[in-house]
Amino acid sequence: MRVSSSMSEPVRVAEAVWEIPAGARPDMRVPARIFADEELLTAILSDRSLEQLCNVATLPGIVEAALAMPDVHQGYGFPVGAVAATETPDGVISPGGVGYDINCGVRLLALPLRADELGGRREQLVHAISRTVPAGAGRRGGLRPRAAAFERVLTRGPRVLVEELGIGTAEDVERTESEGCLPGADAAALSARALERGSGQLGTIGSGNHFVELQRVDSVLDPAAAAAYGLAEGQATVLLHSGSRGLGHQVCTDHVRTMEKAERRYGIELPDRQLACAPLSSPEGQAYLAAMAAAANFAFANRHVMTHLIREAIRRILGDAAADGTRQVYDVAHNIAKLERHDGRELCVQRKGATRAFSAGSDELPAPYRTVGQPVFIPGSMGTASFVLAGEPGAMEHSFGTVCHGAGRRLSRTAAKKQVTGVQLRRELAAQGVVVRCPTNSGLAEEAPFAYKDVERVVAVVERAGLARRVARLRPIGVVKG
Amino acid sequence: MSHRYVEHVGEVELALEAPSQAGVFSEATAAFRELVDGTARTRPEPLTREVSLGPAGPARLLADWLDELVFLAEVDAFVPERVVAIELDGRRLRATLEGVRGMPRHLVKAATLHGLELSRDGEVWRARVVLDV
Repeated sequence: MRVSSSMSEPVRVAEAVWEIPAGARPDMRVPARIFADEELLTAILSDRSLEQLCNVATLPGIVEAALAMPDVHQGYGFPVGAVAATETPDGVISPGGVGYDINCGVRLLALPLRADELGGRREQLVHAISRTVPAGAGRRGGLRPRAAAFERVLTRGPRVLVEELGIGTAEDVERTESEGCLPGADAAALSARALERGSGQLGTIGSGNHFVELQRVDSVLDPAAAAAYGLAEGQATVLLHSGSRGLGHQVCTDHVRTMEKAERRYGIELPDRQLACAPLSSPEGQAYLAAMAAAANFAFANRHVMTHLIREAIRRILGDAAADGTRQVYDVAHNIAKLERHDGRELCVQRKGATRAFSAGSDELPAPYRTVGQPVFIPGSMGTASFVLAGEPGAMEHSFGTVCHGAGRRLSRTAAKKQVTGVQLRRELAAQGVVVRCPTNSGLAEEAPFAYKDVERVVAVVERAGLARRVARLRPIGVVKG
Repeated sequence: MSHRYVEHVGEVELALEAPSQAGVFSEATAAFRELVDGTARTRPEPLTREVSLGPAGPARLLADWLDELVFLAEVDAFVPERVVAIELDGRRLRATLEGVRGMPRHLVKAATLHGLELSRDGEVWRARVVLDV
């Protein structure tokens, strides 16, 4: 194992910010900076997240600091919940800094009715969603556009689905990060295996921690922003979490291999093989960016088709008015690399388990959100709250316009399964008023609420650090697990 | 021969042991089969798949082997049951896998290179690999 174990303790540098100085290890180029309170920091120190963050701080071209969000936990290469910004044109891009599930992300839909109006139809709706949106395994059940249309989706994202197939709406696309299209995407940059794995997976949940959740807006914490987002107390919402499925996984596999072979040529030495990287300007870096952008566009399209399928489930159970009145609040990526301008510099911001959170005034935001800031969705777990946040200026100053992406795991899947069975958990959630559909009991137990950190605490740190503010708290009333 | 799951908060880390290098690949296959957990069909269709990998070092071949199982599970719904033949020739691998077309859970995204190891320790071959799930 080439991962270094030497590391100094983080020291507090601001109310909710800790730092390991760049001098802590001879190979670190910048400090490692952590957004956390004492309790979260204790949890973070219990795994190898900070060792992995210090490894990220060794990447050539990294600027300012390697950042960890309060939900950070041990991953592979990058920890999950980390941000690295590298300078263009010769800083590096690391496929491991995006992860295998390229553009894994979340999308919030707002229904034109209150959750309590669902009454006895709540369980029917959860069941209909579970029957309509394919989950679980492989390539079964997804949309299969013709090859030419599929290629255009990879290049231009979900807008192609609206224009050519009548799936979803133009407003859905406008209310998606980067309008659902990363520039520079090239379908030709994908391997045959990536295309084969992606075929038939558009509109599918996948597995692991992916889900579709029916919710109630439990409380509104920022009425002006909530109004801009079209959210009101008691309203029914749907939060969905999925990514680029096998297509994106294969892009990462392919390019980690390519970059590992090229490292010596660029004189790059790394403490962890999974950080394999190449200069942004290199042929390997450019090829990855083109393939990653295509996978990101595929993921936006995947969630776009899922949205269409969810509307069809709503139509069957609640009628046309409810389906047609279901609006997309926003869609955000949390595994992605993007070229962005910060402090007058063009940087490649690599977010691994971290969400873009631009503040009010950004041209990147849809017009209705420009005065309140970008919506960010922070799922908790299927038994606890999720949050809607709004990006704050502090994020632009301190975290390259980024916040956390969830509560963050605190227990392994094996440990979770030792504490509860899927059958028990299903019963407990039902007692809390949460209807659950999950293909396997084992998969359900792995995602037990106690396997995650306290989302309220994670979000409180984000707010105290000035990165984002809370807009609304959402409570689950039905869950479809992948 | 054995495999166990090492505590890893975010992903699945496998520790494998076998008396031979080929045995490590068989154990990795058994662990993968447990993870995808997908033979739920009344009369699963038997399938055979040939795998050819390399050139790569021993540890990298193991990661590539697991990536091959991920690919077959995803595109063929292939659930491996046993490795019936395996030939490891320096930096290359050729093998025949028997299994069934089932309903494998799409849990494993890829085998990562983080902490990847495969080496001989006296009479025992040991490996570590972290799977992204």
